[in-house]
Amino acid sequence: MKINKFAKLGAVAMLSAVFLAACGSKDSSSKQVLNWDETAELPTMDLSKATDRVSFDALNNTNEGLYRLGKDSKIEPGIATKTTVANDGLKYTFNLRKDAKWSNGDKVTAKDFVYSWQRTVKPSTGSQYAYLFSGIQNADDITAGKKSASTLGVKAEGNYKLVVTLDKRVPYFKLLMGFPSFYPQSQKAVDKYGSKYGTASKYMVYNGPFELTKWTGSNLSWTLKKNNDYWDKKNVKLSAINYKVNKSNSTGYNLYQSGKLDMTYLNSEQAKQLADSKELVIRHGASTFYLEYNQTKKEFQNKKIRQALSLVINRKQFTGKVLGDGSTVAKGLVASDMAKHNGKDFADDAYVKDATANDVTKAKKLWSEGLKELGVKELSFALLSDDTDKAKDSTEFLQSQIEENLAGAKVSVSNVPFKTRLDRSVKGNFDVVVTAWSADFADPISFLDLLTSDNSYNNGKWKNAEYDKLIESSKSTNAGNTTKRWNDLVQAHKVLMEDQGISPLYQQANATMLKSKVKGVIYNAAGVNYNFKDAYIK
Amino acid sequence: MRKYLLKRVFYMILTLFLVATITFFLMKLMPGTPYSNQQKMTAQQIQIMNEQYGLNKPMWMQYLIYLGGMLHGDLGVSFQFSNQPVSYLIASRIGASAQLGIQAMIFGVVLGIVIGSIAAVNKNTWIDTLCTILSIIGKSVPNFVLAVLLQFYIALKLGWFPIADWGGFSYTVLPTIALGVGPLAETARFIRTGMVDVLNSDYIELAKAKGMSRYGIVWHHALRNSLIPLVTLIGPYTVALMTGSMVIENIFSIPGIGEQFVKSILTNDYPTIMGVTMLFSAGLVAVILLTDIIYGIIDPRIRLSGSGD
Repeated sequence: MKINKFAKLGAVAMLSAVFLAACGSKDSSSKQVLNWDETAELPTMDLSKATDRVSFDALNNTNEGLYRLGKDSKIEPGIATKTTVANDGLKYTFNLRKDAKWSNGDKVTAKDFVYSWQRTVKPSTGSQYAYLFSGIQNADDITAGKKSASTLGVKAEGNYKLVVTLDKRVPYFKLLMGFPSFYPQSQKAVDKYGSKYGTASKYMVYNGPFELTKWTGSNLSWTLKKNNDYWDKKNVKLSAINYKVNKSNSTGYNLYQSGKLDMTYLNSEQAKQLADSKELVIRHGASTFYLEYNQTKKEFQNKKIRQALSLVINRKQFTGKVLGDGSTVAKGLVASDMAKHNGKDFADDAYVKDATANDVTKAKKLWSEGLKELGVKELSFALLSDDTDKAKDSTEFLQSQIEENLAGAKVSVSNVPFKTRLDRSVKGNFDVVVTAWSADFADPISFLDLLTSDNSYNNGKWKNAEYDKLIESSKSTNAGNTTKRWNDLVQAHKVLMEDQGISPLYQQANATMLKSKVKGVIYNAAGVNYNFKDAYIK
Repeated sequence: MRKYLLKRVFYMILTLFLVATITFFLMKLMPGTPYSNQQKMTAQQIQIMNEQYGLNKPMWMQYLIYLGGMLHGDLGVSFQFSNQPVSYLIASRIGASAQLGIQAMIFGVVLGIVIGSIAAVNKNTWIDTLCTILSIIGKSVPNFVLAVLLQFYIALKLGWFPIADWGGFSYTVLPTIALGVGPLAETARFIRTGMVDVLNSDYIELAKAKGMSRYGIVWHHALRNSLIPLVTLIGPYTVALMTGSMVIENIFSIPGIGEQFVKSILTNDYPTIMGVTMLFSAGLVAVILLTDIIYGIIDPRIRLSGSGD
């Protein structure tokens, strides 16, 4: 008898599940709708707190700062209509447009910028990107809790003039203005929503080309709807962008094939199979993977050892066969296609061929010379890396390349979780580590700053006086002269490469499929990736 | 009975307290910080952030603060999803996981009982062999392989069901099947074994002698007596399924809780780790209690009052 009851109960539960879940969603088939794939949830829309690519992409398309980042990381007009820079480069005056509005109808004013910047640098906000404000007057002291946020070098003169005072020249300052951390925020909205601010699409106001809708704060889909209050709405062609989170690449590709997605991310297996497809688009990130040597250890202070380890690596095979996701051989520490001067890419201009070449004979020679200088016959060391599948494949490949070619080299591999790897790097608890750096803004300095002697991120403790001098010169003497500054940075990079202070491996990329009907999508490697303002469907 | 229940509830609370304590201290032993941009922050900046979030306080104090909050129903605020209360994150995502888990259990257990019974009744015939082969396959093919196959052939090629996403009942069919095949195979195996034993016992002979129909014997006597081992299995299985299957949820892009737990550990999102761990544990201890009660209902020989001592 009881069984009968159980069966009935089961049937009732099944039926109620049907009814509970029976509120389906309809696909909009309107023409100017883009269906976009995403690989992770949207964690926050609070631009003071955002730290990840998904948040920054959403913020960039639903909000706007003084500038927008256009094609090839060129700045395009945003809220600023006219900018004047003082001769010493320490004062920027931005005139703001008067027709910019928040989605609650309020005007966007200079006060919104002042409020937003102060909010981000204030320690109590807990922003992880406050360091980007370094260079603006008092920013460092404020983030360190020594001064109050109101002393930040940003002032509103009336409603439509913003004056920024710097402590030191920041040659890439305008570029930073296209990064969401520098966008305005409405104090009214922050106060109104309190702790809920930026945690769901309704707890936020927007001033960009699109408005965020249908985001509950933890769901797997959301929609960017064209913002009819946007000052330049006539140039925004898409009526909506539907985002769907698909954590499985095979699911993403199935949806793409069925026409439910216009773009999807591929894993390396798929990328290899679809290598000939016309819809394959490789998106390079401004992110370089490299070997960092612990140069507090005698063996890695030896340049020949470092050179030999770099020369044995067949990077072409590494990127093509092992990674296979579109990643390319790194030309140096600074990512390719990120920063250009007079039409020349930094990575090409500062290229040192030997630094990333593959020459086993030379490597063997340098290795045995190096060992002799150290007075040892063999050298064992640990190779530290992350524990993702890709990282494991990478270390396995590097280990075999080194052990096969260099007599007396013994490599033990240690794959640990990312946070553990970071922790060990910072504490100097490693021999050689596979690490990566990605640029927040499209200027070579975002990479090169890393390796100055006193930089706290310089975990390998490579030190070079000439390098330090060139970087310093780029920030002081030559900060105001674009060409001279560029040359300083090029020279510095060459010094780093010739000394093999680090060994660049590859520049990371994402393989994607993009329907050919989708046009005008702007992608930038550094900072924010996607800008849909000009995108349309043909 | 009441005394027994009170005692059991007390032990449940004690268990949860121990789980909370052990998890808290183990979690704090993990290297790194909960800040996702940790790589680009200096030691000083990390120090300032720690002060903001109270992570610079002595560990015992952090523990007491957390415990105090938990008693008031405050599970803290997530680090990955900044400003988002952990209780909201869990509440907004447990629904999909629970629905899927329950559906998969109903699908698996009901079908498993049917297949297992058929196999037992037709012991040592080709039907039995077929059922056994099916349940071995069901048990040994990982559910994510099945999920990928279902998605490709049934959803993409035939178009019978949506490929992924979460919206209505049709969206749940394929993940339910993928997730339910495991319990189905397990149930079928248990029921077959149990029922073969039962069918050989004297009281079944008696029932046959009384002239009961074959269906009647299976339904009234055999099945009920073969269910006991199954109950032991179903309890923890249900909790495991309801709290989410990370792989299945990822393949079908379902907004469930499965991945949250793994991701929170990888990112040192302390409040989320605690929240999800406590949810899992509470579910498990509750189900264990429930299982013991159900034992008594199915088999009055198992006396509740005696088993607690």
